Amino acid sequence: MKKLYYIICAAALALLTFANTGCHSVDEWDDDVYGNFDALWTIMDEHYCFFSEKGIDWKETGARYRAQLRPDMTQEEFFNVCAAMLDELKDGHTNLSSWFNVSYYRKWWSDYPQNFDWRLIQEHYLDFNYSTANGMSYKILADSTVGYVYYSSFAYSVNHSFVNAMMMKMKDCKGMIIDVRDNGGGNLTGAEDLVSHFIDEKTLAGYIQHKTGPGHDAFSEPYPYYFEPVIGVRWLKPVIVLANRSTFSAANNFVSIMKSLPQVAVAGATTGGGSGAPFSSEIPCGWAVRFSASPIYDPEMRLTEHGVDPTEGFNVQMDTTAALDGRDTMLDFCIDVIRNLKTESDSTSRFVKNI
Amino acid sequence: MTKKISAVLFLLLLCSAAHAEEPAVERPVLSAYAIEAGSSHITETYLSPLHHSGTALAFSYERMQAMRFDPKRWVMRLDMRLSGARTLNQPARNAYLWDMSIRAGWSMLRRFRPAGNWTVFAGGSTDIEGGAFYLPRNSNNPVAAKASWTVNLAAGAAWNHRFGKVPVCFRYLAEMPLTGIFFSPQYGELYYEIYLGNHKDLVRGAWWGNFFRLDNLLTADIRLGRTIIRAGYRCDILSTKASHIVTRRIEHMAVLGIASEWISLSADRRGPSRECRIISALY
Repeated sequence: MKKLYYIICAAALALLTFANTGCHSVDEWDDDVYGNFDALWTIMDEHYCFFSEKGIDWKETGARYRAQLRPDMTQEEFFNVCAAMLDELKDGHTNLSSWFNVSYYRKWWSDYPQNFDWRLIQEHYLDFNYSTANGMSYKILADSTVGYVYYSSFAYSVNHSFVNAMMMKMKDCKGMIIDVRDNGGGNLTGAEDLVSHFIDEKTLAGYIQHKTGPGHDAFSEPYPYYFEPVIGVRWLKPVIVLANRSTFSAANNFVSIMKSLPQVAVAGATTGGGSGAPFSSEIPCGWAVRFSASPIYDPEMRLTEHGVDPTEGFNVQMDTTAALDGRDTMLDFCIDVIRNLKTESDSTSRFVKNI
Repeated sequence: MTKKISAVLFLLLLCSAAHAEEPAVERPVLSAYAIEAGSSHITETYLSPLHHSGTALAFSYERMQAMRFDPKRWVMRLDMRLSGARTLNQPARNAYLWDMSIRAGWSMLRRFRPAGNWTVFAGGSTDIEGGAFYLPRNSNNPVAAKASWTVNLAAGAAWNHRFGKVPVCFRYLAEMPLTGIFFSPQYGELYYEIYLGNHKDLVRGAWWGNFFRLDNLLTADIRLGRTIIRAGYRCDILSTKASHIVTRRIEHMAVLGIASEWISLSADRRGPSRECRIISALY
């Protein structure tokens, strides 16, 4: 009987020992300024995806900002040091969220002209009378030759029934303008849903990569992804996508895919970029951090983190003086291009030559 | 030729006669339903590097029965468990991480009776589990899905004792996966990329180095008349590491439930006779 007790005790002890050693270790940080700073720096160091692309020496950056820490600094002072460090990444997808503030890097759009005034368009082009649903507004302009669509955000899901009805109403137009100025993005699946109305076969939409480990250059092979045409109304007539610097993230992705389609030209200004799909994490004091983690490339395997340029010949800015007279020169340019199309079936190359 | 056939028939008759002399065996089914409540401690580095602690609840069902082919020595066990936890990030405690999982397993255990009222179990089991961790504050990576199928070592011991007139069965059971497969995205892989069709390397082979689990269950079955009250403690430790993503969950649960032993009857099957031998799975 004693033997049995010994065997059971030994087995239990072995199991407990194994249980303790079997668990995998995880980095831990103190909840003070240094611990929180190190946690933030490490999360970015191991997950952020554009260090090489942007030529950032993250070790040097971290050391420079860590030297500014003091054990007695206030939360706000500490937040400002961390936010300034994250600003060095020049990334609109990188934010630090505390209970009293959220950091943003704004220069990706604030250093550029806005090139958009929704009030002006509503007042002088749409007469405050247009159809709208799910962030999408449309009206037929210029003697029924141009369909104009404004899509404000990909945070709204694309309503296929609404898009089908809209395209049917525009069927006699020569072309369509999709205005995504000031569209700051939202759901990537929204780009897929909308693009699916402009293709009639399985189409290469781009490539996506992810980090395979904490190293700065540890990336997977780019994975090509394709979109299928929608079962519904497909628009294969000419399209001009109108963008500005505040066209960002999922909207930037939408523009990059649309630009590769034969019937599409991109007009306006270079988009804001934001081609790194963001990831989130948190640090010991409870603040959340969001950052670019998965690079997305356009169908020609170009990184669009710094934006998508307009089609050659379609680079146009808003004339602020004309805007005072109620004219949006960027929109006027697009309307003129479509109105002057010679035939409905002009393909992009001919379409571009037609201007 | 006729002689040969007669000899075979005679032997068969002898065998059946010998078999008929063996008392019939009934194998009652032990069914136990339990509610578990306790704490859960989670680290899921795909979502956050922080530890999360909070409350956990589970509902479990267990079914044990001696096996038909050798009821004295072999027992089978079926267990199912639905569990959920709501935990807070530590030390800030300002964001919830939710855990929901469902698990089902089947074990086949050889039992030994080394001394007195002791029974020792050892054998194997297979488990299938699915679930997810959910951190609502995250934007593009709010969920870490979990799925696994494992083949496990299972072992335990039971001690039947009478406290006054009350029979009590103390039992300890432990399960530890030996091998299997489990799901894991790559280090920084978004579920969006999986949705786009990249399914490469999502299924991993499991071994002790990357998939460690130790599910300990200690119960006391207290027989009060025809009802059995089950009280106990469960410590379930899970630790996995794949593509530098560490998942760790430790649950400490108090177990309270009701168990019963029953024999199935039907219109064409009579109840056990007086001579019948009843072989319980546990008691």
